[in-house]
Amino acid sequence: MTLELQKPRPIWQIMFSTHHTDIGLLYLILSIAFLFLGGVLALIIRAELFFPGPQIIADSMTFNRIFTVHGTTLIFLFILPSASAVGNYFVPIMIRYKDMAYPKLNAIAFWMIPPGGALVWLGFADFTWYATPPYSIISAPGPAADMWIFGLKILGISSVLGAINFIVTIMKCKHPDMSMGQIPLLAWSFLVSSMIIVVAIPTFAAALLMLLTDRLGVSGFFNPAMGGDPIAYQHLFWFTFHPEVYVLVIPAIGMMYEIIPRFSRKPIFSKSSGIFAFVLLAVVSFSSWAHHMYASGMSFTEKTVFMVGTLAAVPASGMHVFNFIATMWNGRIKFLTPMMWSIGGIALFFSAGAGGVANAAMPLDFTTHDTYWVVGHFHLFVMGTIAFGTIGFIYYMFPYVTGRMYNETMGKVHFILSFIGAILVFFTQHMLGLLGMPRRIFDYPEIPSWIIGNQIASVGAMIIGVSMVIFLYNLIYSSAKGKPADIHDPFGLGGTYYYPFEAKTPHHN
Amino acid sequence: MGHHSNWPEWLYVGVIIALMVWVGAEAWNVERLVEHVPADAEVIIVTAQQWFWSFEHEDGTKEIGTLHVEAGKAYKFEIISKDVNHSFNIHDYVVLMDAVPGRVNTVWFAPDKAGEHDIQCREYCGLLHYNMRGKLIVEEPSR
Amino acid sequence: MRNLLGLFLVLAILVVIPSVDHVFAQADEPAKYIDRRVLIWNLFFKLMTVAFTVGAVVSGTLIWIVWRFRETHPQAKPTEYEKSDTWGGPA
Ligand code: HEM
Ligand SMILES: [Cu+2]
Ligand SMILES: [Cu+2]
Repeated sequence: MTLELQKPRPIWQIMFSTHHTDIGLLYLILSIAFLFLGGVLALIIRAELFFPGPQIIADSMTFNRIFTVHGTTLIFLFILPSASAVGNYFVPIMIRYKDMAYPKLNAIAFWMIPPGGALVWLGFADFTWYATPPYSIISAPGPAADMWIFGLKILGISSVLGAINFIVTIMKCKHPDMSMGQIPLLAWSFLVSSMIIVVAIPTFAAALLMLLTDRLGVSGFFNPAMGGDPIAYQHLFWFTFHPEVYVLVIPAIGMMYEIIPRFSRKPIFSKSSGIFAFVLLAVVSFSSWAHHMYASGMSFTEKTVFMVGTLAAVPASGMHVFNFIATMWNGRIKFLTPMMWSIGGIALFFSAGAGGVANAAMPLDFTTHDTYWVVGHFHLFVMGTIAFGTIGFIYYMFPYVTGRMYNETMGKVHFILSFIGAILVFFTQHMLGLLGMPRRIFDYPEIPSWIIGNQIASVGAMIIGVSMVIFLYNLIYSSAKGKPADIHDPFGLGGTYYYPFEAKTPHHN
Repeated sequence: MGHHSNWPEWLYVGVIIALMVWVGAEAWNVERLVEHVPADAEVIIVTAQQWFWSFEHEDGTKEIGTLHVEAGKAYKFEIISKDVNHSFNIHDYVVLMDAVPGRVNTVWFAPDKAGEHDIQCREYCGLLHYNMRGKLIVEEPSR
Repeated sequence: MRNLLGLFLVLAILVVIPSVDHVFAQADEPAKYIDRRVLIWNLFFKLMTVAFTVGAVVSGTLIWIVWRFRETHPQAKPTEYEKSDTWGGPA
């Protein structure tokens, strides 16, 4: 499996290409760029919160804009595109087709992201990543808010187009000799997450349009002053974005399913339970959206329904953990960078899920909701599990993409620092939440325990920041000067890789 | 796949399901208890607006920023908002409820000891959200 | 593996039966003023006790596995799949 880059080509040949590995590479570069841009914003936030009182950011409006763009960037411009990068590289190869089903559509979906991202960044809106009305209608300053709405609109369409492409590629273009059960779990993860996207995103797309016309004053869907209902927006928003969190996590789990058996030198413990858990997650992901709204004035019955719906997702998540552990059991595990990131991701996945269960247990949500606990909870997922899985996979695919090997020591240092940093930041944020610190605040009163907590979290964030600099250096240096990799077995694991990278024979045109 | 049996996994799934049933049942029970508003609770109307709190007691007295209540009595907050969403929070008493324009949300509590507690806004509401704070002063019972 | 499963079983029994019991026992109306702080934080700590116990089991297992099955472990031996070169095949 030689994934291009090794034969140097002029950049425009890659940019104007519709070949799946070229688009995968574009996705990869874009997502890594936004990882660093969004990460810098996070470090600014953490630096500001190191001490109470304003230090480095002039006013709260700037602070609010920074965390809004931070969240939007890392979800829509890092996690989603990095998953698309992996999917573009691997899905066609895994289902043994020459390319994605619709190569031009693939390119279009990619090229919608830069303008979408530009709108978000040039506008720099302040209404948080969920743009809740009535604030987003009557209070958020334009044109930033409008640019964010348009940006998200574009990013949403890009997501849906990409998802349609993955579904068709897998369902229609897989090799005729291959049954659905033979499709590797990584490709399954893209099938399942794409299906969630197709069902979930249109709801938010509609809500965004309504938000825009509300802002223009021609409608009042969510504006109570015009008879609208702001809670309706929250339902539409979370109907999309609770399932969306599974869109983010499922491909990351798929990546771990690729790495863990490989580095344990054993097949997956139970592939069928992996598939089953994916599909189950996709279905139950739609039964829990209003667990984000326990404090919005819902009835006891509504709350109960959404608590049950949320808890119902836990067994499926647990099945993946079981599968990983059982796969490593009795293996012969080689600890190279990709494997370390995957195992770190699994370790944090548990804590993240346990925190989620606490959020879901309705009365407990009144202690955690909209505090730093929630920030810690979802960062354990988005950073601790999803970004960890993805970064591990970036190391894993690095030799295939560049033909060279990354620096192993730097990769390990990167992991160890990030793991320590993540624990320092996100566990401390859980504590801060229990101490009552609200999220999304520019400044906080001088409560000693809050100050210490914030300082620990900020130090952790700086450690992650340092580790990411090492990562960037490793990527750039090794892709130019790294040792040439043995493409047939870059990690020295032995065995035959099951996706037949030599046999990229298209079976029809 | 294939040659090993999967019963350990199903047992494990069974344990998770059992744990979730337990969590759900306990949470349901506690929620049921804390939602039950006592009939003799005094109503306090809480108005949220960018970026301060005002309170109106049953006898018509109004306060801004600071709320005085008596230990040993039950109070029911009726929470409204004049502009955007806020969230009324007395963390020390685990009181949390959103203030949503166009709605009246309720939550109740019964302070048990005299003392001073922070009131804060826990839902993002713009420029001075971070400073939308108040004080709850619980006084000794007057009777 | 056996011990672990035993532990899970014990946990299930310890946890499920008392909770079912508890829910049915508490059907009566609350006393005059319940204290929401006490109820909610008690629930929280109960849940955390269980979460940390399960977390200790899960992470303990994980740590033990990566310790025992690392390729540099003195007793490490090639997996059965390695010998026949079937571990990379379609799973
Ligand atoms: C699978 C990966 C997951 C991701 C990426 C994720 C992400 C998130 C995010 C982004 C939020 C906060 C949204 C916001 O307020 O801005 C959140 C909140 C929440 N999550 Fe998760 N989550 C995941 C899994 C879970 C699980 C497994 C559970 C429960 C079993 C759960 C329960 C909750 C609850 C109840 C909240 C609402 C907390 C509150 O606002 O009070 N989550 N999650
Ligand atoms: Cu959710
Ligand atoms: Cu507010």
